[in-house]
Amino acid sequence: MGRHVVGRVGELPPGDRKVVEVEGRSIGLFNVNGRFHALKNSCPHQAAPLCLGSVKGMTMPGKPGEYVWDREGEILRCPWHGWEFDILTGRSVFNPHKTRVRSYEVTVEPPAEFGDEERVETYPVSVEDGLVVVHL
Amino acid sequence: MTQTDPLMETAGAVRTGIIDCDVHPSPRSMDEIRGYMPMPWKDRYQGGGRGFYSNPVHGSRLDAVPPGGGPAGSDPGFLREQLTEAYGTAHAILLPRAFCNMHPDPDYGTAIAAAFNDWLAETWLGEYNHDGLFKGSITVAHQDPQAAAREIDRWADHPHFVQVMTDSGARAPFGQRQYYPIYEACERNGLPLAIHPGTDGMGVNVQPSPGYPTRYIEWHTCLSLSFQAHLVSFVTEGVFERFPGFRVVLVEGGVSWLPALTWRMDAEWKALRSEVPWLTRPPSEYVKDHVRLTTQPLERPDSDKHLLNVFEAMDAGSVLMFASDYPHWDFDSPTHAFPKMPDELRERIFSENARSFYGLG
Repeated sequence: MGRHVVGRVGELPPGDRKVVEVEGRSIGLFNVNGRFHALKNSCPHQAAPLCLGSVKGMTMPGKPGEYVWDREGEILRCPWHGWEFDILTGRSVFNPHKTRVRSYEVTVEPPAEFGDEERVETYPVSVEDGLVVVHL
Repeated sequence: MTQTDPLMETAGAVRTGIIDCDVHPSPRSMDEIRGYMPMPWKDRYQGGGRGFYSNPVHGSRLDAVPPGGGPAGSDPGFLREQLTEAYGTAHAILLPRAFCNMHPDPDYGTAIAAAFNDWLAETWLGEYNHDGLFKGSITVAHQDPQAAAREIDRWADHPHFVQVMTDSGARAPFGQRQYYPIYEACERNGLPLAIHPGTDGMGVNVQPSPGYPTRYIEWHTCLSLSFQAHLVSFVTEGVFERFPGFRVVLVEGGVSWLPALTWRMDAEWKALRSEVPWLTRPPSEYVKDHVRLTTQPLERPDSDKHLLNVFEAMDAGSVLMFASDYPHWDFDSPTHAFPKMPDELRERIFSENARSFYGLG
């Protein structure tokens, strides 16, 4: 368990995702409508690189012959078998209680938490930028 | 994946001996195929697949698109890295998707098949095959069985073609006599016939369900139906009596239905033997002697025990051969798609059955 700074808020606009290595684990970081979420980059089914999948909405349960599209940007589909996962919870759409991918807590913290030296050397920082931190 | 998985321990540089019986190479573009066609086919061919019943999500693994672009399965270096090196595969049996079996014009279908064979021989079985990793399938258009037989004879001496292949989509069950020139050619050249899903209900082909399904989920689930119909037809028409050296491999047609179907056929035969007096043994024995099934897509019931019971009932240690179906969307991972099995059974399914069936070193 620990804090791991994985990037700056400004680098990952809403709708974007990036895959990072934290403590030897591959993790997908997603910005869904301005809020950050982190999922283990491994599908619980056959260990595919889940976080490389498509991010879309989904058809909601409906009556036969009826299609209702909702939750745009909140649903991740495995790049192999197309299973749908809720990025907000890591739970699968079809069996949220049994099929789930590990999710991690993500916080956005002020830039002062990021070492001055690294900030100066690597990134020009604007005042409004926050930091993205993953907690394992 | 655990540290003790023998497949993973030796993955990478060392080959695990896996023989993957269903791998799909793709041309980089249809121009590659057109280059092997004479006029007028060269002018006419547009490529393309089924046309409808497309997977609404994605047809191929999204991570299988080569980094340099092009369709999934079109870059041999990337396929080697992502599939055969990752799992330590000894041989990948290639089944290109020509979709030639749906066309009403038999000459056009035959021209497409021939172009795919020329292309496969020159590229994946030639230029890209310095170590003999890739083994290939001779595509035939079964709309013209005589032409298909000539196409088989044209390639039979090639060192890396190990089987003939056709779609399961057809106008008639495969046991019927119009197809016999194909089976004669297979038998005289010692090549099995692989049947792979595709073009069921497309173009000139009938749909194995009672009428046309509405959606991909229905069409795709029902693909195993045509395999069952073809298999019953092979047996009851006496194809394996007529061509004792002829062998069939059912690729991607499902697995778990086999015991129930052979039980049923044996029961029917006991009463109805007089209709098919050329069958001197119970139907299930012809299946064991002449037919192999590849594993993907492997059914996975909630309880592994149920699947292992099915394996036992079908004599999986003799009839099942591993397949991944790379790079398609329903890819089965060699390390994750199967329940825990005894080492001997695992070895048979992942390597030995295919090694002896195809006569691979």
